[in-house]
Amino acid sequence: MAKFALGSEPVVGSLALSKKRDYRVTNRLQEGKRPLYAVVFNFIDSRYFNVFATVGGNRVTVYQCLEGGVIAVLQSYIDEDKDESFYTVSWACNIDGTPFIVAGGINGLIRVIDAGSEKIHKSFVGHGDSVNEIRTQPLKPSLVVSASKDESVRLWNVHTGICILIFSGAGGHRNEVLSVDFHPSDIYRIASCGMDNTVKIWSMKEFWTYVEKSFTWTDLPSKFPTKYVQFPVFIASVHSNYVDCNRWLGDFILSKSVDNEIVLWEPKMKDQSPGEGSVDILQKYPVPECDIWFIKFSCDFHYNAAAIGNREGKIFVWELQSSPPVLIAKLSHAQSKSPIRQTAVSFDGSIILSCCEDGTIWRWDAVATS
Amino acid sequence: MASKGSASKSDPTKDSSVMGSQETSGNGKEILSVIDSVKKQVAADRSVSIKKRMEDNRQKLLGVSNHLYKLSTEGRTSRTNDSDRSIDLLTKRQKDALDMHNGVDASNGDRDSSSSQEDAHASTAVLLGSNVPVKNAVRPIKLSEVKRLPPYTTWIFLDRNQRMTEDQSVVGRRRIYYDQNGGEALICSDSEEELIDDEEEKRSFVESEDYILRMTAKETGLSDEVLESLAQCFARSPCEVKARYEILIKEEKAVGGSKNGDNEDILQNGNSFLDKDLDAALDSFDNLFCRRCLVFDCRLHGCSQDLVFPAEKQPSWCPADEENIPCGPHCYRSVLKSQRIARVSSSMNGDLEEKNVPSSGFTGTQILSRKKSSGPSARKRAKSCQSESASSNAKNISESSDSENGPGQDTTSTHHSSPPKTKLVGKCGISKRNSKRVAERVLVCMQKRQKKMLASDDCDSFVSGGLCPGDMKPKSNSCKENEDTSSSSHKNVKSPTSGRSRRKESSTQDGHKFVQSDVLDASSNDINTDPPATSSDDNLRKEEFVDENVYKQELGDNKPWKAIEKGLFEKGAEIFGRSSCLIARNLLNGMKTCWDVFQYMNCSESKLSCQVGDGANSLVEGYSKGNNEVRRRSRFLRRRGRVRRLKYTWKSAAYHSIRKRITERKDQPCRQYNPCGCQTACGKQCACLQNGTCCEKYCGCPKSCKNRFRGCHCAKSQCRSRQCPCFAADRECDPDVCRNCWVSCGDGTFGVPSQRGDNYECRNMKLLLKQQQRVLLGRSDVSGWGAFLKNSVGKHEYLGEYTGELISHREADKRGKIYDRENSSFLFNLNDQFVLDAYRKGDKLKFANHSPDPNCYAKVIMVAGDHRVGIFAKERICAGEELFYDYRYEPDRAPAWARKPEASGSKKEDGAPSSGRAKKLA
Repeated sequence: MAKFALGSEPVVGSLALSKKRDYRVTNRLQEGKRPLYAVVFNFIDSRYFNVFATVGGNRVTVYQCLEGGVIAVLQSYIDEDKDESFYTVSWACNIDGTPFIVAGGINGLIRVIDAGSEKIHKSFVGHGDSVNEIRTQPLKPSLVVSASKDESVRLWNVHTGICILIFSGAGGHRNEVLSVDFHPSDIYRIASCGMDNTVKIWSMKEFWTYVEKSFTWTDLPSKFPTKYVQFPVFIASVHSNYVDCNRWLGDFILSKSVDNEIVLWEPKMKDQSPGEGSVDILQKYPVPECDIWFIKFSCDFHYNAAAIGNREGKIFVWELQSSPPVLIAKLSHAQSKSPIRQTAVSFDGSIILSCCEDGTIWRWDAVATS
Repeated sequence: MASKGSASKSDPTKDSSVMGSQETSGNGKEILSVIDSVKKQVAADRSVSIKKRMEDNRQKLLGVSNHLYKLSTEGRTSRTNDSDRSIDLLTKRQKDALDMHNGVDASNGDRDSSSSQEDAHASTAVLLGSNVPVKNAVRPIKLSEVKRLPPYTTWIFLDRNQRMTEDQSVVGRRRIYYDQNGGEALICSDSEEELIDDEEEKRSFVESEDYILRMTAKETGLSDEVLESLAQCFARSPCEVKARYEILIKEEKAVGGSKNGDNEDILQNGNSFLDKDLDAALDSFDNLFCRRCLVFDCRLHGCSQDLVFPAEKQPSWCPADEENIPCGPHCYRSVLKSQRIARVSSSMNGDLEEKNVPSSGFTGTQILSRKKSSGPSARKRAKSCQSESASSNAKNISESSDSENGPGQDTTSTHHSSPPKTKLVGKCGISKRNSKRVAERVLVCMQKRQKKMLASDDCDSFVSGGLCPGDMKPKSNSCKENEDTSSSSHKNVKSPTSGRSRRKESSTQDGHKFVQSDVLDASSNDINTDPPATSSDDNLRKEEFVDENVYKQELGDNKPWKAIEKGLFEKGAEIFGRSSCLIARNLLNGMKTCWDVFQYMNCSESKLSCQVGDGANSLVEGYSKGNNEVRRRSRFLRRRGRVRRLKYTWKSAAYHSIRKRITERKDQPCRQYNPCGCQTACGKQCACLQNGTCCEKYCGCPKSCKNRFRGCHCAKSQCRSRQCPCFAADRECDPDVCRNCWVSCGDGTFGVPSQRGDNYECRNMKLLLKQQQRVLLGRSDVSGWGAFLKNSVGKHEYLGEYTGELISHREADKRGKIYDRENSSFLFNLNDQFVLDAYRKGDKLKFANHSPDPNCYAKVIMVAGDHRVGIFAKERICAGEELFYDYRYEPDRAPAWARKPEASGSKKEDGAPSSGRAKKLA
């Protein structure tokens, strides 16, 4: 990473523990033998704030967190194709509010499961290669966006099964897209990052009519006039290696590469010339032993804390919005040695889940400190 | 998966180095302490500003997440209503689990009663304390298998090739690979080519650095020592720091003055387009408009192409049969009608008569009259109306001259003698159709005469000389006309003009003196007012310099003409000749009315004649004279060339050398064509010649250029075999170049183009016209994706174009390495400069697979100066068949799967025009 000029250095968080909060392991599940790549709480529907889903191998499993560290299995789905390996899962819902689980993986298929009726709702065929991440638009939870190895990001309507937009082409990613995220308030805006070491911010403002059209489309989904969004509004070279996770923090972006840290930066766009602009790196959240790719972090509902696992099975919980950043907790357990691919933080941050390479799910609960 | 560590942060080192140098001297210490304190201040400011921004962001985000929370709960309330209709299984399971956990023990009976139909839906929730394998706890619901797509990378459809944009380049960029099959992680990089220069990139100074620099300089001055320590502090070189400081000082000074200026600039910006003159406005046009594709922002040839000005210009466009209907309420025709003054100048009439009567024998008067008709536009017209004039015979001429006198008398003071004018005569004069026709006949007759003149050798050179200046700017023609009419002694003015240009010509062409003097004699009586006369070209230029006030007065109620409007008018005159209707409508729409234009046209012309005596323009004149001479020379050469052109048919030597090159080419790739800007016939300096390509229609050189590809004369063969020189040279026919090549368009409802040849349509323009077959994309029978044909076709039928990004060979090598790793490549060697890459941009034909025994072949074809790849049927192909072609790998580059079956077969044909490279079964 390039040196910082004087006066534009980021504030780097200290790894000294603040002891603000303490977490204890309250449960540990062995889901199967295959690595688990994703775990995610349902933040779409407040009824299900304690429900989470995991994916690994050809399975999608739905759990519920109960008091006392108890986890209940609610539903389990298995793809008949044994070669499927799901990489990502996200909660969404139909326009009538039916909860959907959207999962994607190595086959490039996106499976939309109707958790309300425990049936497959739709399967989206379109991506030319594995799907690396799926995220849901919180303002319109029937819109999901997927990042794929085929170098594209696609916007789907789970209600009608339409591929609305494809973010790819002349200004698109030059290698696998690993992560994508919706802006929390600007409904037109998404950020994606990937193996071409860049983070790209896209706007679908000019294409919004197509998004609206997708809700009322009654013809075959394949006849929908899917549009290509070829030019991002901003391209940031913040990292010098694979960027495997990015999330909006308000108008800032949190992103991580394999440099043992999460970086918070502000994209400064020039309105006149789209695509150009500068990056102001504001803060850094060090995460030791986090130098392999495909490790993703997660935040609680209000973005107060972010949890990220590392290569050695430890979890770092950072207070995101304080300056300088404060390390809330460092979670470690003698038996947790396997790389943690993804964490999930519950609505209020009191529960942290981690899913590991060895197929285990760990539940950590905040302990009230006197 | 991958592992890659990296050390970051280097702030401490900066500090220590500063500390180190601190000990050098007491003075240094002082400096450093100043720098240090400023630095600390900057750092403190920075952390404060970050804190503030984080806080702002937090506040904003709090509102956002609260809103989202509301959304997620709103969902709940609305949903509870419909949950009556169908019970949500997830909710049910959730409740079961909760009940179970709470010990209420959701009994079977309870569930049966509440929702018996759900029971079929599998087991209830299972509670897990710890270490219970989940796998078997719940009966999983099967997701039926869906067939996945063969892998591909998202690509953009291109219907024509595009040049790679800069930011697409992979050269000099680091790429990290990982090996999917190798299990977890494997990052490799092509270390041999790794040039990581980006660290060395010049970093621009950030605000804070400027601040430190300014503050330090303020406190300590800017001695070498200070510079040194500052440089160390910024990790830059001292001279860099010094240079920056100088810039800062300059800026500071400028700031005070420019603050006001800025505002003005902004105000002006809104209207800046209209304030510019045409040249400035055209600048962006020149940069953005592709003259080969006739589109803006051409993706194939790019922006900022070299401007090639053709040595030969198009004749000014004349509406074939201009209607006499006024073009609008402000048309000069209607205005004139109302203002018509029945003033007849007898001299004019005489003039016309003079012109028309002598239809044979070349006398001095005739020359004079020809001059009067002011060659350029007349000649141009003659060219465009050749067929017309050819059909009109002597009878017409005599007729016309007979009837000419009548209407001619009634003309207003403004028009005569030149072709457009004669038309005006018809219109404004008596408004009789007959007269118009008559006028046209006059025209024809004049053209005829001119042609004859051109043919006669003696006069020829003179004529051209006289015409030259006017030819370049047709407007001069109208100037002359105006002189004719507005000045009472029209002859006086006119002949000087021509005399003048003649004289200029003499400076370039000595050989014509003899003729010249002849002519001078003929009109010697007119020359008395000679000296102040300007060449017609000069007149044009002067126009721009004319005081606007004059115009104001003359144009009366009208706004003054802006520079851009004048520029547009000039261009319009170049394009449309003297048609004010067309100029106003097409170029000055909304700015000037036809009447305005008409007035301006006439007034500027008359002004010229008035200003003749004005010596003030001598400077301008001199300037433009110099200019003219350069231009004129090329003009002459062109003319000479044209004469020669008749000698060179397509059988000429030039043609043979081309063919030779083609046969010689063999293994060499074709050469990329770039238009040359030669203004004369191409000599050794010609870029095309040096590059080994033919000149094309986009070159600046005249058509007579020996290096031009001459096209074909085929008719019956329809350019389908090697008999056709175009076909033999792997080129498509070009209707602009070939003699007989044409195609009909549409179903004939829009009329049929003038047929050339003997009604045989050319069959060698399919890429140009995109006459391609429908290709379908589907799962290949062999591997991955495949391309299929929708309808059956015959042998050698054109199927479609293989499009892609045009990239350099260097780029292709680099990309090829990446593609080879993925065993998927869509590179196609196009010519010596470019490789086509269809990886991210292309069309469906990129999915056609390789076969040693293919049913298609690819061919690189030159289409209108560009190389393109056409895919053709090698044999009859039935509808629905998969398309294969031989990728023709260079033997050493072929991947294993392509090598095995055809080791001998393809090598034999290595000389074939196409050679695809490393392509995978996609």
